[in-house]
Amino acid sequence: MATLSDITRRSSQWITPQIFVFAVFLLSLPLWIRPIGLYQYIGIEIAIWIIFALGFNLLFGYTGLHSFGHGAYLGVGAYAFGLFQLHVGVSLIGGLLAAVFAAALAGAFVACFVSHRRGIYFALMTIAFGQVFWFASIKMHGITGGEDGLLNIPRPDLNLGVYSVSLSGNTALYYLIAVLLIIVTVFTWRAMNSPFGRILQAIRQNETRASFIGYEVWWFKWAAFTLSAMFAGLAGGLFAMAQESAYPDVMSLHQSGLIVMMVLVGGGLVNFWGPILGVILYFIARDVLGSITETWLLWYGLMFVVMVMFKPEGLAGVLAGLSKNSAETLNDLPVKTAEGN
Amino acid sequence: MTQLVPHIFNGLTLGLLFALIALGFTLIVGVMEVINLAHGSLFALGAYFALAIIGGSWLGDTAIGEWWLALPIMPRYILALIVAPILAGLSGMVLELALRRTYGKAPLYGLLLTFGAALVIEELIRLGWGTGEQNLQLPQSISGAILLGGLIYSKYKLFAAGFAVFAIIMVWLFLEKTPYGAIIKAGAHDSEMVRALGYDLARLRLLVFGLGAGLAGLAGVIMVPIWGLRPHVGIDVVIPAFLIIVLGGIGSFWGSVIAAILVGLSVGITGAYAPAWSMMSMYILLILVVGFRARGLFGKKSALEN
Repeated sequence: MATLSDITRRSSQWITPQIFVFAVFLLSLPLWIRPIGLYQYIGIEIAIWIIFALGFNLLFGYTGLHSFGHGAYLGVGAYAFGLFQLHVGVSLIGGLLAAVFAAALAGAFVACFVSHRRGIYFALMTIAFGQVFWFASIKMHGITGGEDGLLNIPRPDLNLGVYSVSLSGNTALYYLIAVLLIIVTVFTWRAMNSPFGRILQAIRQNETRASFIGYEVWWFKWAAFTLSAMFAGLAGGLFAMAQESAYPDVMSLHQSGLIVMMVLVGGGLVNFWGPILGVILYFIARDVLGSITETWLLWYGLMFVVMVMFKPEGLAGVLAGLSKNSAETLNDLPVKTAEGN
Repeated sequence: MTQLVPHIFNGLTLGLLFALIALGFTLIVGVMEVINLAHGSLFALGAYFALAIIGGSWLGDTAIGEWWLALPIMPRYILALIVAPILAGLSGMVLELALRRTYGKAPLYGLLLTFGAALVIEELIRLGWGTGEQNLQLPQSISGAILLGGLIYSKYKLFAAGFAVFAIIMVWLFLEKTPYGAIIKAGAHDSEMVRALGYDLARLRLLVFGLGAGLAGLAGVIMVPIWGLRPHVGIDVVIPAFLIIVLGGIGSFWGSVIAAILVGLSVGITGAYAPAWSMMSMYILLILVVGFRARGLFGKKSALEN
């Protein structure tokens, strides 16, 4: 079976053919999204959630740390972006940096508490911290606007020195997010195939053994958590910009659970591209099933349950199963790994 | 100090109710090492079954329906208190059959499967009963208020707290004093040995899961007049339950009861000073305790740590 830790043909490559195809797919999307019956805004949503999911899978799939409170960092990013625009100044770069920085700070703080935990205790601690952030965002009316959240967040222009692009249109905003997503994809791919990423995977497979080899396991878990919170913060900042508002709902346990479902359904446990498939499937299911029946979440939930029961490797696992023979020739070195449970 | 007394009393009552909610959860975690995230949804399901039994509108205009609605509320309530948890328990057994595929894999899969099941049950409730908030009718004798030592208490809260104590003692007696309890505890301790002795482990797990789900349903019927009934009540319930068993230590019966009372007291006392933040105090309590004691107050080593 294919796993996340298979060593690919040229693992130090920054841009693989798959990433190139993905970039072409993203950049050409506005040309064909309307003819296939969808609309531009769903492209924005999908791209933002893929950024979130890729960052989340660094922690969930690669490091094997199952965070169930990751919506909190998306929310922190969204609030930071909104507060920056409303109180400091209307600036795209400033807002996004504030979002990433605030989420990194929140993630680094929480990581100090959770990094010496694993398994279910880790999951529970992340839920508890996620709930604390969620409660705080609802109760601190003065800063966050309570249940309503921050409204009327402006969409700042992209300022490239002499040249300034208005992002008030959805297509322009989409291109910005798509470019950021390509950068995030390249970065996460490279990071997970770097020595750092290999150590994270060693921690997933056997934490005790990784620490016996001499790695400071605590520090690597802390770094993975913080890094993953930073991507969540970036996604949150973009989300606030797309929605022109920031509200507590994105921090709820429900949302944090949804990202876990998307990553798992897509196959984030076995494949780098799993989270991307999962996010696309979720949003397409929401729109297609949602237009047929109001209870689409029932069918999505049932599909998820069946998938956990019969094919926990997710969509990526199903696709790999269909093309088993070609998958074997793809990997020069099919490293057999004893996946630690 | 004296004005704190009602808050402490309220906290204690709340703690006992939390203990009732966590009871089924503790049982399933302790015996099967499965974190049942659908616990809250089974709780809600039990309450909605009780609503259907007391309301009886699905019986229609038939003679039985008319006879049923003509009965006073008391017998209908008692029947609901018995039948609704049984129905919730049966639903839990169906879930256990699905859960069998995840045994022997990482605990994460059980967690994920029950999370999906929670979503499905919540949507089914929306489908069957609508999304609005509903009220459970109560018999006259346990609704209204009562004067105790110069302070007004809700009669129903006292009844619910008393019922929680009764249920906790019954479950404890069942586990400690009956042969079934002995087998269940042995199954938690060394399942292979229990199988070698000739007990059907699959059936044991089915029964334990059914019992745990039934207790969730029972807690639902008891709690809902206090908390209100809406389809997403499950998620409001499962998190405190989850928190309590970790605080008390996974697998420890009295640990979870004590943790529940601690949580109730912390919510009650915080409520005296900063009502808006009262529900948050339990998370702070958890972070403080588990930050220092990895396995909670009375926890033992568990497979869930890996």
